[in-house]
Amino acid sequence: MIIKPESLPGDVRREADVVVIGSGAGGGPIAKELAEAGYSVVVIEEGGHFTREDFDFRAADAFTRLYRDASQTVALGLPAIVVPQGKTVGGTTTVNSGTCLRIPRHVLKRWHLEHGLKDIGEDELNLLYAALEEYLFVKRADPEVAGKNNLLFLEHAGKLGYSGGFLPRNAKDCEGFGVCAYGCPSGAKQSANVSFIPDAVAAGADVYTHCRAERILVRNGRATGVRGHFTDPRTGARTQRLEVHASVVVLSAGAIQTPSMLMHNRICLSSGWVGENLSIHPCGATLALMPEVVGNPKGIPQSTYVDEFAPEGIMLEGVTLPPAVMAITLPWGGRRHAETMRDYPFIASYGSMISEHDSAGKVVAGPSARQPLTFYNLGREDLDRLKRSILLMAEIWFAAGAKRVYTPIDGFKELSGPRDFMRLSRARLKRASVYGLSAYHPMGTCRMGSDPYASVVKSTCETWEVENLFICDASVLPTSLGVNPQLTIMALAMRTAGFIDEKLESAPTKGEEAGRLERLRARLRSEKEAVARRLSGESTPR
Amino acid sequence: MRDYFARRLRRLVPVFIEPVEGMPPADPDQVTSFAHQFLRAGTPAFRMLFYAMVLVLQAVCLATRGRSVYSLPPEEADDFVRSLYSSRFAALGAIPTVLGTPIYMAHYNRDDVQVRLGFDVHEMRREAAAREVRR
Repeated sequence: MIIKPESLPGDVRREADVVVIGSGAGGGPIAKELAEAGYSVVVIEEGGHFTREDFDFRAADAFTRLYRDASQTVALGLPAIVVPQGKTVGGTTTVNSGTCLRIPRHVLKRWHLEHGLKDIGEDELNLLYAALEEYLFVKRADPEVAGKNNLLFLEHAGKLGYSGGFLPRNAKDCEGFGVCAYGCPSGAKQSANVSFIPDAVAAGADVYTHCRAERILVRNGRATGVRGHFTDPRTGARTQRLEVHASVVVLSAGAIQTPSMLMHNRICLSSGWVGENLSIHPCGATLALMPEVVGNPKGIPQSTYVDEFAPEGIMLEGVTLPPAVMAITLPWGGRRHAETMRDYPFIASYGSMISEHDSAGKVVAGPSARQPLTFYNLGREDLDRLKRSILLMAEIWFAAGAKRVYTPIDGFKELSGPRDFMRLSRARLKRASVYGLSAYHPMGTCRMGSDPYASVVKSTCETWEVENLFICDASVLPTSLGVNPQLTIMALAMRTAGFIDEKLESAPTKGEEAGRLERLRARLRSEKEAVARRLSGESTPR
Repeated sequence: MRDYFARRLRRLVPVFIEPVEGMPPADPDQVTSFAHQFLRAGTPAFRMLFYAMVLVLQAVCLATRGRSVYSLPPEEADDFVRSLYSSRFAALGAIPTVLGTPIYMAHYNRDDVQVRLGFDVHEMRREAAAREVRR
């Protein structure tokens, strides 16, 4: 069942086969698979549990209730980039657009060649993708509810000869209420909060909400449980404590919180890759003042894409913004802001996503495990690619009849026609002149690989250093995907659930366990003696 | 939010949200109440930055206009905010961006404001309530 702190009489101390930290794209499928396989599963979720009745179309309120730090998480650097992440049952899947794309073949090939992940086969992934797509009702967005904004863009991109289409989404009977990022009010979007988690609960899993995991318990090189505490949903103050002892611990807290947790627990750090290798898919957006009403935001926000430039690392995907979000996207204030907002029904929008080539970021331990610091340096090549994506969107909007296009580039905030367009295309941008960037796909900070000195987890998602500690979220993806990652995270989670199942089935008996401990003690004794000999100047016997 | 900053923010609302024909006027109390909630739910770093920007805005106004931002007539206040947004120095542009975030979010989150913009939340809520999708 889903357990809120107010329903608990006191501290919680219990046993389980598996404890999962996080209930999103990684934690949700693992919890479901293992609970259905008959294991006792406990899920710890830092955010609250909300149902469709709680989602009320007020975007600003959703930021404070459903997002981590009210969506104020920023990757520091030039420019600073906002990285919104969900903090609720379902994780970021509850507040994403629902796009479900498979890993591009060239990316998987790179994983094989550069990261030694040959045992993640294309055929195996395709089977997992197919099963997930069926389970999540994934299908191409219905043009009937795709929204005028998206249809206009796609139509005129096609007229310019750019390839594109309708995005596959995990939505069943979607009516296009247009607020996917603030909680689906009809329950059509099959985010983990309406799919994996309810099914896990039906199979016997317990989900503790408003509960923050703090300590991963490790004994003799093995994960043995999790310690944490509940928080008051209104004040955020600590309340009861929680301690779960389990045979397997799964860390699925996302690519920013997961490395932070490892750093604060001082585990799995010897490869030097925890927190490194951050990629985020930097996103730019353009707004366009159209001569006709575009019906914002009715229609699926992210229903179409233009992938003509995907080989260059540029993916254009639809986006529509409710008034409260468009208001903070406009690059000016005062009277002009109010007048532009009055034109809201006439303003169309579209977004671009860059697959990184020369940008790099990292997560480092902050003042507390809850507040890690994220740094990101947007590379020159990627900055140029971002500019190109904005020019492409402007070109398409002008082809669709836009009177003006608003961009997130200083000095080019408003493009009125071909002259401004040419001026921007000739300009060499500085990093500081791009503002208002956001990124929705942090990845790679506990990367997977075949080399324990160059990765944090094995291809099974078990950490190299701590036995029975699995990491399964976007942090294990070794490279930037170039497409929305939720389906790939879910596929890896299903795969990991299989390895955990095998592990639990072949768990050692008490006698085997005692033998293992004895061997470990003997090894420590001999290492200690060797060190003592070295210190006293004796040569180490061969 | 500390009382000092709540008072300052209340007085800043008209500087950021100018009344325009056909739109409901800003409600400083509603904006302050939302900003309080938004800052409390957010990061300590953003909270500190926000408070600092309230002070920096006033300092920049005193330095460049010779008077307090709270006492500028509407046209001059509008011109001042516009000059910050279009400043060549990114740090100056950041002042209204940081302050404007909760102010604009709060105002355009109001049902009556959204309805005027064609985003009929009441209608959509009714429609969504009648349209439950089950697996």
